[in-house]
Amino acid sequence: MKSYIYSFLFILTLFTSCTDVIDVDVPTADPRLVIEASLDWQNGTDGKQQTIKLSTTTPYFDTTSDNAVTGGTVTVTRSSTNDTILFTDNNDGTYTTKNFEAVLNETYILNIVYNNETYTATETLRPTTPITSVNQSKNNGFFSDVLEVNVYFNDPEDETNFYILKFQERDEDYPYLRDLSDDLQNGNEISVVYEKFDDDNEDEEFQPGDVVDINLYNVSERYYKYMQLLNSQSGSGNPFAPTPVELRGNCINETNPENYPYGFFRVTETYKETYTFVDEE
Amino acid sequence: MKFQLSFYLFLIISCYTYAQETFTVSGTISDFANGKSVFGASVFLENTSAGGITNTYGFYSLTAPKGNYTLVVSYLGYVTIKKEIVLDKNQSISFELQEDTTTLDEVVITAEETEKANIRDPQMSVAVIKSATIKQIPAVLGEVDVVKSIQLLPGVTNNGEGSNGFNVRGGATDQNLVLLDEAIIFNESHLFGFFSVFNADVVKDMKLYKGNIPANYGGRVSSVLDIRQKDGNSKNFNLTGGIGLISSRLAAEGPILKNKGSFIVAGRSSYAHLFLKLADQDNTAFFYDFNVKGNYEINQNNRLYLSGYFGRDILNFDDAFKNAYGNSTLNLRWNHVFNDKLFSNLSFIYGDYDYGLELNFVGLDWTSSIKNFNVKYDFKYYLNNKTTIDFGASAITYNFNPGEVRPVDEDSSINEDILDKKRALEGGLYVNAEHKFSEKLNVQLGLRFSMFKRLGGQPIATYLNNQPVVYNEALGIYEEGIMTGEIDYDKGETIADFSNFEPRLGLAYQLNETASVKLGFSRIAQYLSLLSNTANATPLDVWTPSGPFVNPQMANQYSVGYFKELQNGMFSVETEAYYKTVDNRIDYIDGSDLIANNNIETQILEGESRAYGLELLLRKNKGKFTGWLAYTISKSEQKTPGGKAGGPGINKGEWYYTPYDRTHDVSLTGSYKLTEKWSFSGNFIFQTGRPVTYPVGQYEYEGLSVANYGSRNADRLPSYNRLDLAATFKPNYKPNARWKGEWVFSIYNVYNRKNAASISFGQNLETGVNEATRTAIFGIVPSVTYNFKF
Repeated sequence: MKSYIYSFLFILTLFTSCTDVIDVDVPTADPRLVIEASLDWQNGTDGKQQTIKLSTTTPYFDTTSDNAVTGGTVTVTRSSTNDTILFTDNNDGTYTTKNFEAVLNETYILNIVYNNETYTATETLRPTTPITSVNQSKNNGFFSDVLEVNVYFNDPEDETNFYILKFQERDEDYPYLRDLSDDLQNGNEISVVYEKFDDDNEDEEFQPGDVVDINLYNVSERYYKYMQLLNSQSGSGNPFAPTPVELRGNCINETNPENYPYGFFRVTETYKETYTFVDEE
Repeated sequence: MKFQLSFYLFLIISCYTYAQETFTVSGTISDFANGKSVFGASVFLENTSAGGITNTYGFYSLTAPKGNYTLVVSYLGYVTIKKEIVLDKNQSISFELQEDTTTLDEVVITAEETEKANIRDPQMSVAVIKSATIKQIPAVLGEVDVVKSIQLLPGVTNNGEGSNGFNVRGGATDQNLVLLDEAIIFNESHLFGFFSVFNADVVKDMKLYKGNIPANYGGRVSSVLDIRQKDGNSKNFNLTGGIGLISSRLAAEGPILKNKGSFIVAGRSSYAHLFLKLADQDNTAFFYDFNVKGNYEINQNNRLYLSGYFGRDILNFDDAFKNAYGNSTLNLRWNHVFNDKLFSNLSFIYGDYDYGLELNFVGLDWTSSIKNFNVKYDFKYYLNNKTTIDFGASAITYNFNPGEVRPVDEDSSINEDILDKKRALEGGLYVNAEHKFSEKLNVQLGLRFSMFKRLGGQPIATYLNNQPVVYNEALGIYEEGIMTGEIDYDKGETIADFSNFEPRLGLAYQLNETASVKLGFSRIAQYLSLLSNTANATPLDVWTPSGPFVNPQMANQYSVGYFKELQNGMFSVETEAYYKTVDNRIDYIDGSDLIANNNIETQILEGESRAYGLELLLRKNKGKFTGWLAYTISKSEQKTPGGKAGGPGINKGEWYYTPYDRTHDVSLTGSYKLTEKWSFSGNFIFQTGRPVTYPVGQYEYEGLSVANYGSRNADRLPSYNRLDLAATFKPNYKPNARWKGEWVFSIYNVYNRKNAASISFGQNLETGVNEATRTAIFGIVPSVTYNFKF
């Protein structure tokens, strides 16, 4: 919600300024471990197959380094039963299992040993609000006469909720992630709009026939803040953006706290819907 | 308190103990052509040390032993008046000065009105710019701009085009007290800083105090920008105006009430649609201003002034959002001359800054405002020709409405939410004495007592262990504290109470007829802060008063300067060095969220800042070519330890640059009068780039490349530099013509440098490659404006 407010300022500046891509020398910090441990249990599946990715940071403009981390030991433990699952090292930076047991409100502990240092994180699998409907429109979004998809869900009234929505258009390489809290909309039916707009190229907009996969996740406040900061810092030339800062997740280096890792350990239920744009009447 | 003040007064008065039969001559100085009072004219008795300058209302008062004297009134650009007087009784003599048409070549920027006063005056770190000078400076899109012009002075910068406000000696924008006819202006920008709210046609002059701030001002730690609106012409009716590419202006002024008074009314408006390039869409972005001022002379000793300002910005984007904000002020003043030695001014000032944002596409309507009412009573007492004493009192009540969120219609999913309204009372008592100890030593000694009460009428949160912010040792981050409850304060109760003594000292020692050294010290408390975690302040930022969790900022500034005139005033050199510290300067924790946040204390840490620098100003004051070169070398840093939140603090508790640090700042401004018809002007600016935070690495997360940022403000944007040129053409120039018109042709940013307003880092979602994207606001901008006076 609040992120809209900064983006509105940014849109204003778009029309008065010019942007261009330039070469900038940036410093490079020592590499750190990056943990992408997103254990998502899609509603209606057994959720047994899960993947965790380990990598290291690379110089900002570097496009060539192989930064996959292999040789790590990755386990996830159910705290109520102490059952531990070992993830298999696929030697390409991914670690997988087919035996994950997804239980609502269970607390899970991630443990990674890499280079003789132990990294841990703890997270609880939280239930997610179902998506009630998905439709398309042209004038709900910021830009009129541009196709957009609307996602609806009912926010529970008796608690504070934090959401992440992931929109992945088929044939697009990158997802669009949205962070949302209910602090101004508690207890209401919430609708989230996703549209694409390019001043110069109408083909960039959604067209009839385009297919979008939509995931809704209820997440912890900590993770919401992490994603909110990640999104706000993802860079779009906004001179009104907050000063960017280091993004710290929820993983701890138990052996050497100064060598802290990046990334996040999240465990959530998710609802998924797929929407295909149709010709408007 | 009372005892201390009276003791202090006693000290000052006892400086002068001898008694002799003396008499006083007093009166007002005005402009013959239009009856406007003249501020800063020199009035002195020839061959004596008795002398001074007129105050903002044109009043002077001189006291000397009985005798025959020659009274001299002089003002740059006007014919000097000499009058023989016999001082055998107290008397009142008023003068009207006539413009000196032979010296019109002179640029009228001076640090004080006459160079002599500049050398002698114990006030330092001050600059006056007159309206005429402002209008000579080439401006973007031909919009003459008050706030942009002061950035050509040493020690004054801002974040470049499209940023609100200005920065003085490494201070933040909210550390400037901006006054328009004594009323506080909380946002001095139109269209996010592209233009300032001050219409140059109604500005009489402005004074910028960068340090050594006199005791009659308080409440902001970095500077005071005191802008006075013109009095209307009390002799003739006339119109001035201009037609430009962005906006047009019209001002009307003239006498009212049988020449006992005068008025000026001015309006300025930008053209909708032109500013945005989207002509075929339903978008608007425009602003307007309305200024009014009237004065009425009841009798020789009583005069009333009424002045007002109303300005607004309106932005409407395709009905997706609507945004309107602006300042309104109203000031009623009563000038009263008690006797020939005691002058007074009583002001009642109302101010309102409000902000509204309607986001239709999310169904959100947001409003916020800050209202204040201010009563001020100021006195000037001309004790004798060696000593003048200013004293007075002021009280300001504030009502802050930090934000109200409402649904735009029934379909909206937004719930109504009203942030706690805040109330506060700020009071000040001051005395300031200027005393000539000898021909060479002139001292200004001031003391301000300020107090601030945060008034009840709202709940205040309480936190576990009294920690609104807590350091999470394991994750290495600062987080919101755990709220344990709320205390409700009634309207009659006081939530927090602060008071401070603020000594001010200025000292000038004249080395010889043309050179002096000056020393200054000032201690100032600031009880309001603008909350902003963005690089550029925006109109959305909310002002917040000090209270249980936010202490007032306290600044100490020391300055020393050397002032020199060369070649009989042809050139002058001003150098100043300063060192400034500010305690209780807040900064924002990583990932802070300030928008619509009711508990700002959970997002901030208190620290300190320091700034020091050396400023040089070299001016050429006379001749066909006039102008100045300003150079500043400076440093501005801050440090924010964890304090009671625990942990190392921001940036590991180490010093880091403030966003206002500029190592080098050079500006060169000049104008050349070729003929009566043609004149040319230009300015060149070079500044070290603004401190920013660059990424120090990247990694992949959720399929996206994430930038990893390093230490706060450890990197810099590329340097900012540009050259502007302007030519003024006066067709059919006749000195006595009623209609005076001129064309101003200007080119902003002549060599089309793309100065970075920001550089942001992100992944190109088509190629997947990380990119640095520069946003530059203005490239080369040619423009033409037609100005007229009738």
